Amino acid sequence: MRILSVDLHDFRNIAQAHLDPSPRATVLVGENGQGKTNLLEAVYFACTLRSLRAARLADLVRFGAGSATVAAEIEGSGGVRRVSVEVAPGLRTAYLDGKPRDRLDEYFEGLAAVCFSPDDLLLVKGSPEYRRRFLDRAAFNRWPAVLAEARDHLRALRSRNAALRSSPPEVEVNFRDRLVWAGARLLRRRRDLLAELAPRVEEAFAQIAGPGAPPARLVYRPAAGMSLEGDEDALAARLAHVIEARTERDREKGYTSAGPHMDDLALEIGGRGARPFASQGQQRALVIALKVAEIENLRSALGRPPLLLLDDVSSELDPQKNRFLLRYLTTLPGQSLLTTTDRHLLEAAAGPETAYYRVEGGTFSATI
Amino acid sequence: MAVVADPIARLVKELARLPGIGEKTAQRLAFHILKAGPGYAGDLAAAITGAVSDVRLCSSCQTLTDRDPCPICSDPARDARTICVVEGVPDLVAIERTHEYRGHYHVLHGALSPLDGVGPGDIKVRELMLRLERAPAEEVVLATNPDVEGEATALYLQRLLKPLGIRVTRIAQGVPVGGDLEYADQVTLARALAGRREL
Repeated sequence: MRILSVDLHDFRNIAQAHLDPSPRATVLVGENGQGKTNLLEAVYFACTLRSLRAARLADLVRFGAGSATVAAEIEGSGGVRRVSVEVAPGLRTAYLDGKPRDRLDEYFEGLAAVCFSPDDLLLVKGSPEYRRRFLDRAAFNRWPAVLAEARDHLRALRSRNAALRSSPPEVEVNFRDRLVWAGARLLRRRRDLLAELAPRVEEAFAQIAGPGAPPARLVYRPAAGMSLEGDEDALAARLAHVIEARTERDREKGYTSAGPHMDDLALEIGGRGARPFASQGQQRALVIALKVAEIENLRSALGRPPLLLLDDVSSELDPQKNRFLLRYLTTLPGQSLLTTTDRHLLEAAAGPETAYYRVEGGTFSATI
Repeated sequence: MAVVADPIARLVKELARLPGIGEKTAQRLAFHILKAGPGYAGDLAAAITGAVSDVRLCSSCQTLTDRDPCPICSDPARDARTICVVEGVPDLVAIERTHEYRGHYHVLHGALSPLDGVGPGDIKVRELMLRLERAPAEEVVLATNPDVEGEATALYLQRLLKPLGIRVTRIAQGVPVGGDLEYADQVTLARALAGRREL
C-alpha cells in the first residue's frame, strides 16, 4: 500500500495543495504555523477516517469556506483506488472511487498509520489516559474489531454510570453485568497486545539507551491488582468481583470507579516509575521505544510497515537519539512523511528517493 | 412570492418529519402525490387515518393489531407455552418471516436505557409479568437486540423470570448464512472465530 498523491481543499489553513509523496521519505520544511502539521493531519484523516487531534469536524474546515476535502490516490493489491473525504460542519462524507460510502472502512481496509509528535512525550509524563489511548489505538491497528469493541465498552460504561445515578439497583445490576463483559473483552485485547509489544519496547529501549543502561519494563496495572491470567470468562469473573465490591461507593459518586477505563500502563526504568524518576533523556528514549515497538509490531502483523507521520520530532531530541531514530527510519521499506523547521535535522533520514516540500502560509512547493 | 404554494410546502414539511425522509425526498413524494391525482391522495389519507384509529395494542402480546387478541395470539395452532420477547414490531415481523417459530410473542416497545431515561415502567414488562401470572409459560425466548440496551434488558428479564421456574433462553449470535461472510461485521466475525467448533 502506498499513497501516490494527496489533494487538499480548504482544509484548516490550506486553501489548496497537491502533494506527490515519495515511496519512502517525504520531508515538509517550514516555519511553525505554516501548515505542515495540518497536512499530516489531512493524510491521517484520509487513511484512517479518524481525526488525529480529536477536533470537531467543523474545525477542519478553512475559515470562511463551506466544506473541506481531502483526496488521496492509494495503490494497493487491487490497483489504484481514489479515497476522498468531504467535511462540512456536522457532516462527513467518504467516497471510494467517486462513489459515496457510508462505512468506508467496511470496503477499504485503509492504511495503518502511526503518528509521532512532541505531544507523545505525554505518554510518559501525562495521565494514564494517554497510555490507555496508546494501547487501544495500537490494539485497533493490530485487530480491526477492537474499534467496535472499544466503542461498545464506552457505551456500556456510560449506560452503567447513568444507571448508577438514576436507576434502581435491580436495573443497574444488568448494566453492570454487561459492562463487565465488555470490560473483560477489552482487558484481554490489551493483555494480548502487551504480550507482543512489551518485549519489543524493552529491546528498542536497550538499543537507544546503549549498553549498561538500566532496562525498561512495561507493566499493565489493572483494577485492584487483579490477575490477567486465563480466558475472557475468567477475566470477567474477576472483574465482576472488583466492580461489585465497589457498587455502594460508585452509587454515591455516580460513576464506575474501577475497570479498564481507569487502569494504567506502568512504564518503569531500572525498576522505578519513569514519570517521577527517569531523566528527560530516558523519558524521550522510552517514547521512541514505544513508537518503534508499535511500528515493528504492525510490520510483523501486516507484513509491511505502516505509514509513518512524524511531526517535528527531531527538534525535541538530542543528536544521539535523533540519529538513532533517523537511522531506524532509513531501514524501513515503507512510506513516511516528516515535518521540520530545520531541514538539516532530518538529513540523516534522507535517501536518493526523499522528496522535499517547502511550506509557507498554507502553500506547498516541491523543492530539491 | 413563495416558490411553491403554501399547501405544497405544508405537505413537504409534514413528510420530511418522517424518519429517513429528507427535505428532497419529501419534495419528490409531495409532487408524486399531486401528480397521482385526488383519488390516490384520498386513499392515502384514509389509509393513514384508518391505521391510526383502528390499530391498537393486542391486550396479550402488545403487538400492533386491528383485532384483539391479535391473529397470532388467537391462532389455536400456535404454542402458547413458548413466548418470544422482542423489542419492537419489526423484530416480530422478521422472526415471522422465517416460518421457524410457532410460539407466541411479547413486544416490549423499547429496551431499558438509562442514558435515554427508559426504565422498566416505560416498556411492556409489567404486561409480560401479568400475562405469565394468568397463563404460565414453559419457555421465554429473549430476542432483544445484541447491543448494550438489548442485552441488559435480557439480563433484567432473566432475573425476573428465573425465580418463577420458567425456562429462559437467549437467541444465539453468529455469522450470516449463505456465503455472505464478507458482510459480517468485524466483531461478529472475531467472536465467531473465537467460538469455533470442531467438525
